[in-house]
Amino acid sequence: MTATLAAFAKGHTFPPIALDLSERWVRIYVEAVEDGAIEQAGAVPPMALAARAIGALLESAGLPDGTVHVAQDLTFHRLVNPGETLTATARILSRGERQGWVLLGVALTVSDREASVMDGRATLTFPADSAA
Amino acid sequence: MQTESLAVGSELPPVVKEITQKTIARYADASGDHNPLHVDPDFAATTQFEGPIAHGMLVLAYLSEMLTGAFGDRWLESGHLKIRFRAPARPGDTITATGTVTAVDGGFVSCDIECKNQTGETLISGQAQVSS
Repeated sequence: MTATLAAFAKGHTFPPIALDLSERWVRIYVEAVEDGAIEQAGAVPPMALAARAIGALLESAGLPDGTVHVAQDLTFHRLVNPGETLTATARILSRGERQGWVLLGVALTVSDREASVMDGRATLTFPADSAA
Repeated sequence: MQTESLAVGSELPPVVKEITQKTIARYADASGDHNPLHVDPDFAATTQFEGPIAHGMLVLAYLSEMLTGAFGDRWLESGHLKIRFRAPARPGDTITATGTVTAVDGGFVSCDIECKNQTGETLISGQAQVSS
């Protein structure tokens, strides 16, 4: 059974995962979010990168029951084209507990062979008893 | 939209979307996030939300579409955003993504951005920045 994010301490780094941004997957994503603007640009939607990176993280660690996405910080460094294969990494940046809830900060980076193309931070919260 | 014509107080063209359970299911398939809070109405009814809610990243994609429409490649190549998820979007909601220019300075355009539902409740709020 895959461990949930609740099992990891501050500083934990998840193994890199390859992100295949195939034209087919990008088309499915664009149809799902009904993004009319990106179709004209012909690029990968920036939020698709973030969604793919988060999805990759969830392949390494599931979400504890009751998890809520509290905040998101993202920076994009270049346009990404359909068909590219990139690498996602994630690290637990912070972990705190208050009033029965765990607050977790997770750094997300998507890179090509030379540099980061997207980085950011997701803040999640879940009940502390789901981390027990 | 030409950044040369942007002034503080300018409003970005809004994006309006309707969310259905089918929309949420399509996003779950595209993103790989099948958290039952989103896709299982029976389970979701037992949670604090008392029913299914949309993925936060789906609603955030509507803001990204607005920013792509307003800034084109500049958003895709150099965009930055920092947001908080304030309240969930639910099936049946009509979501409006809006943005207002708050600064044009130092080579960057800064905007306040938000998503509201049909009752005027703020679901997401934050700031975005692109190079000018």
